[in-house]
Amino acid sequence: MSIHGRLVPYLFLLPAVLLLLVFNLYPTLATLSESLHVKSFLNNERIFVGLENFERIFRDPVFRKSVEVTLWFSILVNPIQIALALLLALLANQKVRGISVFRSIYLLPVAVSINVTTVVWGLMLDSDSGLINGILATLDIPKQPFLTAPSHALWSIIILATWKGVPLWALFFLAGLQGIPESVIEAAKIDGANRRQIFTMITLPLLRGVLLFVLIADTVANFLLFAPVQLLTEGGPQLSTNLIMYETYRRGFVYNDLFTSAAMLLVMLVFVLMVILLQAFVLRRRD
Amino acid sequence: MFGRKAFFIIPLLALLLVFSVIPALSQDDASTVTWLMLGWGGAEEVVAQFEEENPDINVELEQVPFNALFEQIQVRLGANSSDPDVLSVDVPLVAAYGLRGWLLPLDEFFISGEQEDWLEAATEAGSYNGELLAAPVSTSTQLLIYNADVFAMAGIDPPGEDERWTYEYIAEIAPQLTMDTDDDGTTDIWGFTWEQTNRIYQLQPLPEGLGGDAIGADGLTVDGVINSPEWIEAFTYYSDMFNALQAAPQDDTVGASDLFAAGKLAMYIAGPWNINRFIREEVPFAWGVSRHPYFADGEIVTPTGSWHIGINKNSENREAAARLVNWISTGAGAEMWWRIGSGDFPAQKSVLAMFATDEQFEEAPFSTLRVAADEATVGAVPRPVSPGYLEYEQILQNTFQDIRNGADVEESLNLAVARIESEMDKYRR
Repeated sequence: MSIHGRLVPYLFLLPAVLLLLVFNLYPTLATLSESLHVKSFLNNERIFVGLENFERIFRDPVFRKSVEVTLWFSILVNPIQIALALLLALLANQKVRGISVFRSIYLLPVAVSINVTTVVWGLMLDSDSGLINGILATLDIPKQPFLTAPSHALWSIIILATWKGVPLWALFFLAGLQGIPESVIEAAKIDGANRRQIFTMITLPLLRGVLLFVLIADTVANFLLFAPVQLLTEGGPQLSTNLIMYETYRRGFVYNDLFTSAAMLLVMLVFVLMVILLQAFVLRRRD
Repeated sequence: MFGRKAFFIIPLLALLLVFSVIPALSQDDASTVTWLMLGWGGAEEVVAQFEEENPDINVELEQVPFNALFEQIQVRLGANSSDPDVLSVDVPLVAAYGLRGWLLPLDEFFISGEQEDWLEAATEAGSYNGELLAAPVSTSTQLLIYNADVFAMAGIDPPGEDERWTYEYIAEIAPQLTMDTDDDGTTDIWGFTWEQTNRIYQLQPLPEGLGGDAIGADGLTVDGVINSPEWIEAFTYYSDMFNALQAAPQDDTVGASDLFAAGKLAMYIAGPWNINRFIREEVPFAWGVSRHPYFADGEIVTPTGSWHIGINKNSENREAAARLVNWISTGAGAEMWWRIGSGDFPAQKSVLAMFATDEQFEEAPFSTLRVAADEATVGAVPRPVSPGYLEYEQILQNTFQDIRNGADVEESLNLAVARIESEMDKYRR
């Protein structure tokens, strides 16, 4: 093949690679560069400080607390969302009359913007005049400080994120379930497998590809969760909902310290990558 | 064939040309100035008057809630955006904005005599490194405003106009003024609160009245200052009002002033701008004002400082923006802003003098504004001057909110110290 011919595939790749470079790689490198500098307010200069920003944020009690909160949040919210999404998908996969109506209804939260979701949940969770405390009151359960007590606030955010997130992930599971050939299930039944065995030995293994995708996409989406924290709790009470994403925004844009913010962002990027690699590793090992 | 195409194309091109030129022409006719501000009720009316006097300028108001204002300024000016052209500046932030070079120096836009009409303290607070960066518009003070009908219901005498109650006495009677009028187990009328329950502006008099400081001498240090015994004592008092005594509402979905206007609050410490509102809305109960409270063993300390107005250094309409800033901070514009704009106290001596001379203020309820004008001269302590004021104020806001919701006072203040110290680090290098 001539040199000319060998170049052609690269030419076709060029536009995509260029876009990746401009919109993905360049911002990442710029963030890396920011994270190695500070601004001197005394003489208005940009100073190279090496890893000092990282050293400082790891000594910073606020950032450490937000790492802790983010880890707890991820450990709790992801399994809950995935389990519920799978359950919802199994329900929606039943072949009964009117199932398409049910499928449309459960998909509704996907169509509502996260900001609207947050505001409405905020009104419902209000400790004095909220709907949920109103319902609890009729059951003689005392008022709950959903958004104002450190013991409750993170759970409130988890519930909100779950309401919003589950239907979307269920949609992926449903697509996966519908891709499993009926004949395989039939064969298992003939061999005498019960429902539990069919689920654990046929359905789940055949869903593994979808599961891996949902696990990764869900984890990333939850790491980047921002609107509910900003609109409802501002990271409080007592930093109990101060997720890294919000702390990063607050440092960078509210407190105007883009350099520290960049360092935090990179730490989060490393976290996300680590979690994704771990998940991919765990799910692939069984092959 | 070509001729027929041209028949369509040439007029089309001509139309395009005309439409692309029209906006440019109209821009020359009237330049549009955007002004980022709070949701002040009378602002549009005042601005309409300015536009009438300056037909070549359009003013577009961008009104946002309190915290959003600071965040927007921070994000937009931080990104070197050319809009807003004009912004309302909370006076303790002048140093922070000045340090970052966000505001256009204003001295050249005022003729001699205009600046001399401002209260000296206000001019000084609006300047940074010897340059005027934010022109004074308003100043402020705080009063104890009460609902006389609720006091009558509880059988307690309300304070006189020139009386100054102690915080201790307020803590004693506030629970008696807190009532469940329909016996359903929830409070219907609250005894006491602060108008801005979690802002340092409003709460600074508590620790300072006990002899505490707001910030270290370098304008950066808070360790040993905001977790000192005075602060702990002050915010234990504050916490008790919401938690131990349950005389103040923890929930702030309904603001204190709305609660008061609805007759659901016996008394609160609030700004005189509320007086105009209660007069305008003709609230259906008897109300009055008295002096700002103090601790029995402490000093009288009252809040001060208010809104100034500045120009974005990257504004593309500097000249028009400067005319607006000049108009609103001097002479007739300043008077109109005070009367119907924000209702805040004026920072212009000539306008302040109207409280003494204007007949309007001789009789109740307008006479209460005279009390406020006098109170503004007693024990006024400005907010701390610091390049990190925004961080300081926002972190304390979270802290006060936590304390209000029942968090341990000392623990919360220590956490605030750690957070603020960590933010202040960047100003030390």
